[in-house]
Amino acid sequence: MGKVVIFAGGFGSGKSEIALNQALLLARDFEDVILADLDLVNPYFASRDVRPILEDAGIRLVAPSGELSFGDVPSIPGEIIGLLRQENIMVIDVAGDEVGSAVLGYLSKYILARQGYEFFLVLNPYRPFAQEVQSVRDLRMQLEKAANLEFTGIVSNPNLLGETTADIVRRGHQQVADMAMSLSLPVANLTVTKEFYPEMAAKFGGQVREINLYLKPQWL
Amino acid sequence: MKQMEKILMKGNEALAEGALSAGCKAFFGYPITPSSEIAEYMARKFPLLGGTFVQAESELAAISMVYGGASTGARVMTASSGPGISLKSEGISFLAEAELPCLIVNISRGGPGLGGIQPAQSDYFQATRGGGHGDYNIMVLAPSSVQEMLDFAMEGFDLADQYRIPVMVMAEGTLGQMMEPITPRAKVTQFQAKPWATDGCKGRQPNVVNTLHLSPEFLEYRNKVLQEKYKLIKANEQKAETYRTEDADLVVVAFGLMSRIVRKAVMTAREQGYKVGLIRPVTLWPFPVDAVREAAAQAKLFLSVEISMGQMVEDVRLAVEGRVPVEFYGRIGMIPSPEEIGRQIIQLAQREGL
Repeated sequence: MGKVVIFAGGFGSGKSEIALNQALLLARDFEDVILADLDLVNPYFASRDVRPILEDAGIRLVAPSGELSFGDVPSIPGEIIGLLRQENIMVIDVAGDEVGSAVLGYLSKYILARQGYEFFLVLNPYRPFAQEVQSVRDLRMQLEKAANLEFTGIVSNPNLLGETTADIVRRGHQQVADMAMSLSLPVANLTVTKEFYPEMAAKFGGQVREINLYLKPQWL
Repeated sequence: MKQMEKILMKGNEALAEGALSAGCKAFFGYPITPSSEIAEYMARKFPLLGGTFVQAESELAAISMVYGGASTGARVMTASSGPGISLKSEGISFLAEAELPCLIVNISRGGPGLGGIQPAQSDYFQATRGGGHGDYNIMVLAPSSVQEMLDFAMEGFDLADQYRIPVMVMAEGTLGQMMEPITPRAKVTQFQAKPWATDGCKGRQPNVVNTLHLSPEFLEYRNKVLQEKYKLIKANEQKAETYRTEDADLVVVAFGLMSRIVRKAVMTAREQGYKVGLIRPVTLWPFPVDAVREAAAQAKLFLSVEISMGQMVEDVRLAVEGRVPVEFYGRIGMIPSPEEIGRQIIQLAQREGL
């Protein structure tokens, strides 16, 4: 059984986009990459919207299926536990806040039985409730309790979508780095879109990951 | 830590933040996708700010709590989606007759029945025709961006107080769920006096808020009072945005987030040489009759584009008064793309030789 990479965080922190990008990155080097879209809270802007992109890359998408994929009922895909017990690499994307991470609590004993897991707290300091250390500390506690797993690191995702500038990224990342310090968690990655990659990679080195936004509607 | 200037918000969060900036003191609701983040935001913020959040046992209870809260003169609100608004419609009729200012939010999904939870605009009739019983209207504002979710919540409370009328902000589910950077606004600190409020009657006659009028003469009088107010609102508060309608042969009408998609299609059609324009009603009630009439003076054709099976198209037809034909294009359960709308526009323009 290979590793599991899990992304959790507050609503709208960028988890789904980051999980998608991570799965696509892993699929370049590995076979049997699975993306588990366990956003059971609501179906707006979920990984299952881009199923064809994943299939083209050879990634198996595990998500609420059929008409449940348009629903807001907590339907956990039936095959998930079986897949967690098999040889593969799995990326898990859950919905925001503790309600979103609760599904991990149900799966945690299977996740803990694998070779190892990475459990990332995704932070965008430009989102409400992610601007103060205390509220991020509370979020971390709630998520770990709901998931029955301990975070292994932070993914820093500072952005204002279309109004992001290099300065926004730098200042936001500094804020995340300060929070990470007081939470005693390492910053595993800084995620930025293409236009900021060269500058940020030069400044922050190998932790910088370029991400493409797949879930943003074309008409925005 | 110092507050940053801009903040990335979901439409639902921005609306809630706007309501708080407007001095909203209480939220009464019952959760429903895709509106629930409004309730969640209020539930998180009120304990810090000193307001009241109640998750009621039902929509009927929630809207009745709005009636009680508004009677005290406090700024209060509720939020839901289509099926929940149906349940609240009895209470909205009561609020309208009692002339109680309040904010009601509909983050719309597709019906009828339980329908789905994907975005829709098919509660247009429900919002603009009253929805509940009796001769009444409420004001309806349709934001098209996350910033406007915040702005219209604030403006909605002002209009509600000014005219003593329930104000609805109605937005497609997608606008509630999507994120855009927004600029927060300063808290409102000046409020209109509410001498009619039931806020303690020491030293004065008690105020009464009541909607039961058994005397036929008084009932008719009350209806006339409301109609006079509605006439005033229709005269003063119509709001629309127009885009390249001055020389347009074909005028497309669309509201909400849909209007942004249509605008892209209109731009593309213009690039291809078709004289197309856009009217975006900002107030759905009062409907911007004047803006439509003005464009109808020289347009040859209108097209109403909606995420419904055709509702606002009736108001467009009423406004043009038969001077120009009015066509309709709509989808439901999904948002049509700019390309799809563009094809409709060009097809129509070619058919009519525009």
